[in-house]
Amino acid sequence: MRNRQLYFCLIAGLFVLLSTAQRAVAQKDSVHLTPVTVYGFAPERFMSGLKVQKIDSVTMEQFRFRNITDLLSLNTPILFKNYGPGQLATVAFRGTSPNHTAVLWNGLNINLPTLGQTDFSAIPVAGFDQLSVQYGSSASVVGTDAVGGSILLGSAKPQAGLQVMIGRQQDSFRNSQTQATLKYSTSLNKQWNFSGKTALYDGSMKNQYRETIRNGVDMIRSKTFQKGLVQDLFFTNKKHELSAHVWLTDNALTTNPQNLAGRELTRIKSYRTMLRYQFEDWTLRTSWVRDVIDYAVGDYSKLDHAVTDRLGIRGERTFTWKIGSSGSTMQVQTGGEFTHYKTQVENYERPVITEDRGDLFVLTRFQVSPRLLASLNLRQAFVTGYNPPFTPSVGAEYRLVQDKPYTIKLRGSIGRSYRVPTLNERYWKNLGNPGIKPESGFNKEIGAEAVYVLNKIHSFTSNLSVYHNKIDNWTYWNPANNFHVENLQLVIARGVELQMGWKGNWEYLKLGSSINYALTRTSQEKVYDAYAVDVVGKQLPHIPVQAGNVNMFAAYKWFHLTNQFQVVSKRFTTADHSQSAVGYVLDNLILESNFSWSFANASLQGRINNIYNTFYLTINGNSMPGRSFAISLVLSAKTSEK
Amino acid sequence: MRKPLTRILTVTLISAIAWSCNQSDPTPKGTYVQGVFVMNIGNFSQNNGSISFFSREKNVADADIFSLVNTSKISGGVQDYKTVGDQGLILIDNSSPGADKIEIVSANTLKTEGSIGAPDIENPRKALAVGNGKAYVTNWNTLNSDYSFPTGYVAVVDLATKKVTKKISTDRGPENLVLYKDKVFVGNYSESNGKNLTVISTASDAVTKTISFKAVPNPIGIDVNNKLWVQAGLELIRINPESYDIESTLKITSDASQSAYNFAMGSDMKTIYFVLSPDYGSHGNTYKFTITDTQVSLTNPFVKRPFTGLAVDPLQGLVYGAVTPSPLQSGYAIRYRTDGTLVDSVKVGISPIGFFFR
Repeated sequence: MRNRQLYFCLIAGLFVLLSTAQRAVAQKDSVHLTPVTVYGFAPERFMSGLKVQKIDSVTMEQFRFRNITDLLSLNTPILFKNYGPGQLATVAFRGTSPNHTAVLWNGLNINLPTLGQTDFSAIPVAGFDQLSVQYGSSASVVGTDAVGGSILLGSAKPQAGLQVMIGRQQDSFRNSQTQATLKYSTSLNKQWNFSGKTALYDGSMKNQYRETIRNGVDMIRSKTFQKGLVQDLFFTNKKHELSAHVWLTDNALTTNPQNLAGRELTRIKSYRTMLRYQFEDWTLRTSWVRDVIDYAVGDYSKLDHAVTDRLGIRGERTFTWKIGSSGSTMQVQTGGEFTHYKTQVENYERPVITEDRGDLFVLTRFQVSPRLLASLNLRQAFVTGYNPPFTPSVGAEYRLVQDKPYTIKLRGSIGRSYRVPTLNERYWKNLGNPGIKPESGFNKEIGAEAVYVLNKIHSFTSNLSVYHNKIDNWTYWNPANNFHVENLQLVIARGVELQMGWKGNWEYLKLGSSINYALTRTSQEKVYDAYAVDVVGKQLPHIPVQAGNVNMFAAYKWFHLTNQFQVVSKRFTTADHSQSAVGYVLDNLILESNFSWSFANASLQGRINNIYNTFYLTINGNSMPGRSFAISLVLSAKTSEK
Repeated sequence: MRKPLTRILTVTLISAIAWSCNQSDPTPKGTYVQGVFVMNIGNFSQNNGSISFFSREKNVADADIFSLVNTSKISGGVQDYKTVGDQGLILIDNSSPGADKIEIVSANTLKTEGSIGAPDIENPRKALAVGNGKAYVTNWNTLNSDYSFPTGYVAVVDLATKKVTKKISTDRGPENLVLYKDKVFVGNYSESNGKNLTVISTASDAVTKTISFKAVPNPIGIDVNNKLWVQAGLELIRINPESYDIESTLKITSDASQSAYNFAMGSDMKTIYFVLSPDYGSHGNTYKFTITDTQVSLTNPFVKRPFTGLAVDPLQGLVYGAVTPSPLQSGYAIRYRTDGTLVDSVKVGISPIGFFFR
């Protein structure tokens, strides 16, 4: 209760401040509108009113050899439930479950349909070019799973010329990763341009710890081999763009490899392919995704084999209208999507199960005035067997202050969300429930963003969000009913997120700092049996009330020093709060140096992870490793730009 | 301000000394000399099992006494706890292979004295004190990759040296142990498909006899007439532990969809309590019958609910049922009189499965 009071006071205070600021600043309407360019993948443009954080290319480069979990943990308030280095990592976004985050690759949801979630340990940063994080429900834009938020991964069209990159990282515990990337772009004739990217990565985490016990708690040994191939091809002319995208991943995890009888293998192979064609305002996309999960204990000669295929087609058209002479524009994207699922899982009620899913959507972006941007999005999904709820959302952004050294933007959004049950939830033999209802959510949020450019040297940014997300019919593998899946729970997640940044640019020296802070209160609110009273209203397990990170960097000429702090408060490990894990602070230090020649570049990075040797635990109560080191070298060359 | 503070401190100090003198009566040394111990297996993947403890006259428990008195944690599910003289054995099952162990503690203080792990101990199930400083511990061994059960063993533990002195091979999935004179009857886990009851001599630590059954045998206990009761599937069998003759067989039910488990011998050595459930879970009831009954009556359940653990306190005769609402929250120990009326309930650790009385 005290926390809630605190943050409401905080918000109230901020809005009073902002409204007085508005009165102080005279209105000024002559704003230059940047021309509208519709670039295919990005659903972000219809997310006005929602918070979208684009990860910059410097950060992407810095995390090149690391996992997406590291990048997001250290640059966003998103939490991961980590089972150990190289082992399963699931997401808890804004107090929701791993099923409530949509992971999109070039606009396509790549969550495993059987589990309805993504193992983020199997997604290295090397697998994509662009990364945006969208906070809060956006199911009306993105579709199923986008309840707590969405992670948007994308391919980028390479620049003209030829670029070659090769790199390797060597870490403690005999871990390493090698990468090679080739990017090419050339004009085929006067009209057509061809570009593409071919990338390979190969990682090996042997995790050969010198100590197998820390503070009396065992470290679970594991080995992970991770391989991937990324292939993007773009054929472009003025009116047409045809692109093909392939992302193959192979992630093989063995826990306790030293114990031949008890070792456990989980191998996930994903084949993701996509063909897109864009002609003026029309976009057509076809996709095929196959996820193969192999699992075995001890003897690997007989694998538990599960295959799921998804064949999808999506068509959409964008309309743009100029309204009046005031510069108002309305953009509407409407279309539909159809996906055929075929799954073969040993423990399902039938050996082969097929399911069809469809979506119809209308997305609207209305630039009412230079200051006001609004969006209205509608979506209706269809699934074999039953109907997910109609999902509308409205959002708006208002530029309260602009054309000043500082700008303030207010935003707000209200929307419904839904989650189509996973294939496991529907079809698992005996425990699944074909009649299970889709979860439905209702998300409300407001926020403010401010940028303050003090002078040529100093600039500041800040971003504040407050949200309330109610998710009904939350599915639960009910132990009181022998773990049958049921729509038992009602979860309310609410919280505050604050981001602040500062940058100072001198001639040779650059300094900067950023802070991310999240206050998350998320609890189950429905009493469905006699013992639920021990659980109702309590923070969900493994989700800390407070979490955040602080990044600081200093760059001088070609040296770059970064310090990354991550802070996680105490987490309860049981639903009734009878057990907990203490909070912790992790600190990483990175020193980078770049050497440039006319055609080539070398980048050397040294990193110390967990400098203070902090003792902290995995989600299943095992010990995480202490201090470790990594060094990486990236060599790249490119043809000079014409 | 200073003076009253000094006075308060002095008074507090004197009364504290007086109180501690008053407490220094030496008979019970240690917090865990008498009371009820609850074995909690926790949530398997979280390795967060514990031993809960409460005095018989109280209804509030310490959920995890091992962590209270030791710097380390149990890190696994507690399958069993037994004492041998003034030492105790905690059987710990970890979700990682090769990480199971027996923690040997002081019985009165629960302070750890050492442990025995792999390869001597793998999937430990139940312990039994079999004489001075010696205990038998049933072990499933590492399960086969298709989850079928290999031949298990009884580990002979010497508590003085904290070593396993011998592994005695049994049938598949060895589980409950019952002592009669110098014989130990070893039964098997219901899903193990091990259909032989193994008899071990405590003098030679060797198998002296195996008795075959149609279903997996589970020894319940020795009754007031020195007869051994064994459950095999849905049958109850009375055996002469001297001659191994089967004296009588009672059918619990002919409804094959039901499973009978969690058998407990009453303190009168005449009553046997058990759970009958269609799903090993939230459905079903708890029943009792007496050794003189000619048939098992299912018309009036002892308690109209199943339990994840069931035991009778030999000292007071109360029946203790363990309730597991979910592996993510605390369980309860519910106490009943022998007529089935409720006494009270005590919140304990996560997923309670059994009790030990001292």
